[in-house]
Amino acid sequence: MTDPPAIELRGLSKRYGTGDGSVLALDRVNLSIAKGTVFGLLGPNGAGKTTLIKVLTGISEITDGEGSVAGFDIRRQSLEVRARIGWVAAEVILDDDFSGWENLWLQAKLQSLTGWEDRAHQLLDYFSLADRAQDKVGHYSTGMRKKLEIALALLHQPSVIFMDEPTIGLDVGTRRMLWDIVTGIHREFGVTVLLTTHYIEEADALCDRVAIIDEGRIIAEGSPSELKARVKADLVELETSDGVDVRALSDLPGVQEVRSQGNEWVVRVASSEEFLPRLFARVPTDHIRRISVEKPSLETVFLDLTGRRIGQDEPMRDVRKFYMQMRRARQ
Amino acid sequence: MRSQFWGLYVREILRTFRNPFVLLITVVQPFMWLAFFGSSFGNVSPIYLKGLFGTTNYIEFLLPGVLSTSMLSVGMFGSMSTIQDKRFGFMKRILITPTSKEIIFLSKALGSATRGLVQIPVMVVAAVAFGVSFGLSPLEWAAWIAGLFCLAIGFSSLFLAVTAPSTDWQTPGVVSNFITMPLMFASASLFSSSQFPAWMQAISDVNPITFSALLGRSFVLGRPIPWEYLGYLGIFAVGMLAIGYYVSARWLRVE
Repeated sequence: MTDPPAIELRGLSKRYGTGDGSVLALDRVNLSIAKGTVFGLLGPNGAGKTTLIKVLTGISEITDGEGSVAGFDIRRQSLEVRARIGWVAAEVILDDDFSGWENLWLQAKLQSLTGWEDRAHQLLDYFSLADRAQDKVGHYSTGMRKKLEIALALLHQPSVIFMDEPTIGLDVGTRRMLWDIVTGIHREFGVTVLLTTHYIEEADALCDRVAIIDEGRIIAEGSPSELKARVKADLVELETSDGVDVRALSDLPGVQEVRSQGNEWVVRVASSEEFLPRLFARVPTDHIRRISVEKPSLETVFLDLTGRRIGQDEPMRDVRKFYMQMRRARQ
Repeated sequence: MRSQFWGLYVREILRTFRNPFVLLITVVQPFMWLAFFGSSFGNVSPIYLKGLFGTTNYIEFLLPGVLSTSMLSVGMFGSMSTIQDKRFGFMKRILITPTSKEIIFLSKALGSATRGLVQIPVMVVAAVAFGVSFGLSPLEWAAWIAGLFCLAIGFSSLFLAVTAPSTDWQTPGVVSNFITMPLMFASASLFSSSQFPAWMQAISDVNPITFSALLGRSFVLGRPIPWEYLGYLGIFAVGMLAIGYYVSARWLRVE
């Protein structure tokens, strides 16, 4: 007999507000996450990742559909769910007036734990916080605060840990450390981890399975290698001057699909190595302002599915575009 | 449930006492009321004071009133900790544990009322320094403190009921200020309500601050004790506690 899933969602929707101004943040989400996996929810900002965590943890009520976490209904058995989950916020949330130990004490009280002290000592040792346990957490470094937050999430031996953008805003070193921690706690404590991220490399490095979410809908799901295998093509991104005809690109041998937004093109080709010489032969090089080639990755999966990059809606994140605009402004 | 209540209640208390500035203000503010407001009748003739306040020492008259209005302020500032917890995400951390919203409310209401009680010994000592003498029996002390505690619980619950459903951190503060000012001045806390116009007297007559001020004043000035006021304050505390409990259970939210 197979284990029931750690998380199961059927037609789950969440709408904020009512009437014309309402926003459908989650649109009939179906998801089944097996016990003991590290599952990533990958998508751009505003895709519905945090909303999904909020409804699964009972912070926000669902509008429609059904869901269960650790075998308990998220709508009707919210207290049972909350006794079995841990939560690591995007921004570290601790009581800064309390010491590390006192934060653990408070968490133990909120989870109605008895005999929690040994576990707390083990966690402090595991996260190398034992010698700072009596210091106020307001004096901790960012990495230490993150570690303590994860220790709090693990104190009551939860079945599932939710990590909402756990590495957002962290420097590279701390992010690497956190990746090791996520891998480590999954291995050491056998806990199911659901993490949201908009970092492609994070989902690729950490997750056994990934669901790609966009505009409240799950648009693809699988292991990172399965998802990448879906894109049996290279993606060539172009920015051209005016007057380049779509047929100039789509007629070239090996081209599977051409999408355009103004003068920006995403061309799906069987082999970029064979495509590029043909492209330069067809389109004069002075008509090509920018060109980039990508081999299959989770980024190209998202690009292939939506025609957009994960960070494309945030103009400042697209550094190349930003500098190009700056150059043009100077000309 | 008891464990969760205790954890959150201790957090409320410790946070106050670990912040020396907050502790200082909590203690000094009512003292300043006595010093500044109480001295405002310093050059008034004793005969006039006796006629107006029933005592020649205005601070003797003022102390029970200031302690009562302090319970109002304590209630208001107590509810601000809910806003702070919402703003900095700590409320989410609490709610993602099997802690019910009712427990969060009760711990905050009781924590806030406990903080209010700290002001009593400080104010009494300050009043002694200003020449007030106390001849209260232990029962009278207990009744006075119980009345103030009921008032603190009632106002803490009221302000928490205002704060619980809001996700905007400014509105509850504005609403609380809006409630506080008329409640303070339309009461017998600072002056005798017999001098008020009829409409203000009508508010004062049902204002729990008046009951608490008059109860305390009867102990301090040795007047006949209106024991029924203690009952009214108990009803106010239980009523507001019930409203706050219900509102928090249904509408406490973080978004």
